[in-house]
Amino acid sequence: MAYFMEKVKTKSTPYVLIDEAKQYMKLEGDCFPDDTLEFFWDINKWLCEYLESGNYDKLTFDFELNYFNSSASKILFDMLEQMNEFSKNGKQAQVNWHVESGDSLLRELYEDFEEDFTDLKIILIEK
Amino acid sequence: MLLNTLELFDKTKKLDVYIAYKGIVRIDNIEELSVALRSQMAFDKLSQDTFRAVFSIFVELMENVKMHSAVPKGCIIVTSQDKIYHVQSGNLMETQNIEELKKRINHLNSMDKQSLRNYYMERIKKNNPNPRSRGAGIGLIEIAKRASEPVEYDFIPYDEHLTFFTAKVTINNDNIERGAV
Repeated sequence: MAYFMEKVKTKSTPYVLIDEAKQYMKLEGDCFPDDTLEFFWDINKWLCEYLESGNYDKLTFDFELNYFNSSASKILFDMLEQMNEFSKNGKQAQVNWHVESGDSLLRELYEDFEEDFTDLKIILIEK
Repeated sequence: MLLNTLELFDKTKKLDVYIAYKGIVRIDNIEELSVALRSQMAFDKLSQDTFRAVFSIFVELMENVKMHSAVPKGCIIVTSQDKIYHVQSGNLMETQNIEELKKRINHLNSMDKQSLRNYYMERIKKNNPNPRSRGAGIGLIEIAKRASEPVEYDFIPYDEHLTFFTAKVTINNDNIERGAV
């Protein structure tokens, strides 16, 4: 059975959706969990297995975080790095990077990530 | 003791106090205060950048207290006056760690926005040998990136092992139309 996970939004953690059958994941909301490693544990574990399984050749990631703290940013960077590696061998991960208009730092971060991850497709979507 | 609330109201005139908290700092306190701060700021006409700056500096400072304070208590104060926001935190820390922290803040204060942007990416790429150290110092860079002025700080000796650390961060907002009564 393809993996499926959905977590509701809390005051400090985002909505999470992983729908392996649709080759899709989404994070939406604010992200400053009490224990960032613990919060991302399942998500990361699934992502590693998915990307390395050899069963899939694409992944779409809707990145709709309004705010994430500094420890989450490190983990998110590592996740994108894995997707970038995945995209090197004829496979393609795509990140839809949603930014509220006027949020220039999140836009800047998009530019820096976009420049850094040359094989990953990162698309800016302004809300 | 009863505070003279008229005096408080009158003397502070243009100063709005959004949050003044002293107590236990755990995730539930951070969550509740972040909701309060968000609804306070909803009355201000803020650019997305100003809102994000105040909000993220508030969360980073509170997390700093949560993770690094020598005792599980700390203070956080958020005010606005004359189109300027201040976020200020205070907590006890081990005196032996202050030199390192001072050095890091001074280093960040000496950088311009572009250098901070580059430094942030540099740090985020580094593999952290100790994942439990969490942000690996990225929190302070995040604060410096979003601040309008250099981060002000003070270290006040408390007892033979502990020092009280205060940080004050300024965020300018040209769009704010609240304040004067």
